[in-house]
Amino acid sequence: MAKNSKLTTAILVLIPVAVGINYAGKLFASALKLPLWLDSIGTMLSAVLAGPIVGAISGAINNIIYGLTTDPVSFVYALTSIGIGVSVGFLAKGKMFNNAFRTLLSGLIVALVATVISVPINVVFWGGQTGNVWGDALFAFLQSKNVGIWVSSFFDEIVVDLVDKVLCVFITFGIFKALPKTLVYTFKGEE
Amino acid sequence: MKVLSLYVENDTFIHKLEPITKLLYALISIVITFLFPSIMVGAVFVAFSLLLAISAKVFKRMLLLLNVVLIVLLSMVIIQGLFYRQNVTPAFKLWGLTFYKEGLLYSLLLIVRVVNMIISFGVLILTTRPSDLVDNLVQKGLSPRFGYVLASVLQIIPQMLSTTSTITDAQRSRGLETEGNLFQRFSAFFALLGPLVLNSLVEARERAMAIEIRGFSVEGKRTFVRQIPETKADRWIKISLYVAFIVAVVWRIILWVM
Repeated sequence: MAKNSKLTTAILVLIPVAVGINYAGKLFASALKLPLWLDSIGTMLSAVLAGPIVGAISGAINNIIYGLTTDPVSFVYALTSIGIGVSVGFLAKGKMFNNAFRTLLSGLIVALVATVISVPINVVFWGGQTGNVWGDALFAFLQSKNVGIWVSSFFDEIVVDLVDKVLCVFITFGIFKALPKTLVYTFKGEE
Repeated sequence: MKVLSLYVENDTFIHKLEPITKLLYALISIVITFLFPSIMVGAVFVAFSLLLAISAKVFKRMLLLLNVVLIVLLSMVIIQGLFYRQNVTPAFKLWGLTFYKEGLLYSLLLIVRVVNMIISFGVLILTTRPSDLVDNLVQKGLSPRFGYVLASVLQIIPQMLSTTSTITDAQRSRGLETEGNLFQRFSAFFALLGPLVLNSLVEARERAMAIEIRGFSVEGKRTFVRQIPETKADRWIKISLYVAFIVAVVWRIILWVM
């Protein structure tokens, strides 16, 4: 919701925190045995607080750090994270987080953006698969019915992303609403 | 201070190389394996990357990294072997399912590419202290402000993880259900993440003020406590990498035009 004409120090320290929140989200989700990743909440929160550019940077750095510390494959999905950060930033600017209905709509848009960016990556690197069991089962089914690889891969990705991204958007929205105003203004950036 | 990293302390030739050299090797080897749709090219790079990993004495750790993608790679062989669009020649039958040659070859190509990507980046990750890589990038012209962001992520995540266990304990002692049905577990997710976010944002604000006081936004050139030297070996490796890259691109364009 900020114009972020400048990357202030407050915004720069927000980025590592965003990455940490992504990390913690994933950790909590697996500790609670939730069937989702929930690992983009930090990216989304930073985008809501400080705008699309900061969202994009948080997303990119998130995947770079993941790549450097756990799984080199995540480097290539930095593009998807950037897409998520940018789209959430613009949606927040466009007041698309004001009520539950709009938030749901935003979630669908973000899921679509994430899918559209991920599909070419999946096709190039994995021949269309995502690595998620349910998605890949659907992918195999569609392939056996002679559906094109792009369409199959699109459905493979979207069944996974849709629920995950919509929920992430809702959680982000919930957390953002609960934040004290003084904190929100700190990270809003210079107008 | 605890820092998030897969770095394995050692003193081999690979460890002593400049981090950027290793980064460059990873990037260029990945680009080349993707430029050529050939299993041979991929296999050559996989073999070479493995050689580097062995000479850096990180082979065992490398297997752990590869383990992460093992299941996806296996499912890739099955799915492509059965359903690849250009499948014509049957290769063998297993439990009444026919695997085709084209799909198996295609999945093999994808596998050598992914495996090379993991091993070549693995060499960088396992033999380089992350802070050295960041320092090296800043010395080569990355903005020090971004360098700070990268370096601080690596320190903040372990900090946040320890806060995480504190919050989990605190909420449990208040009677939070972390087991039970899906809905209960979801509300637990909120109860755990909420305090963590608030806590870390407050800390971030304090950190911003603290580094501001220490001259974080000062303009001008920075000096470094740790200099990372560029050895002769580094220079030669870099030159040969650039040459290999240019040759590969030119060769690819020639193949493409012909």
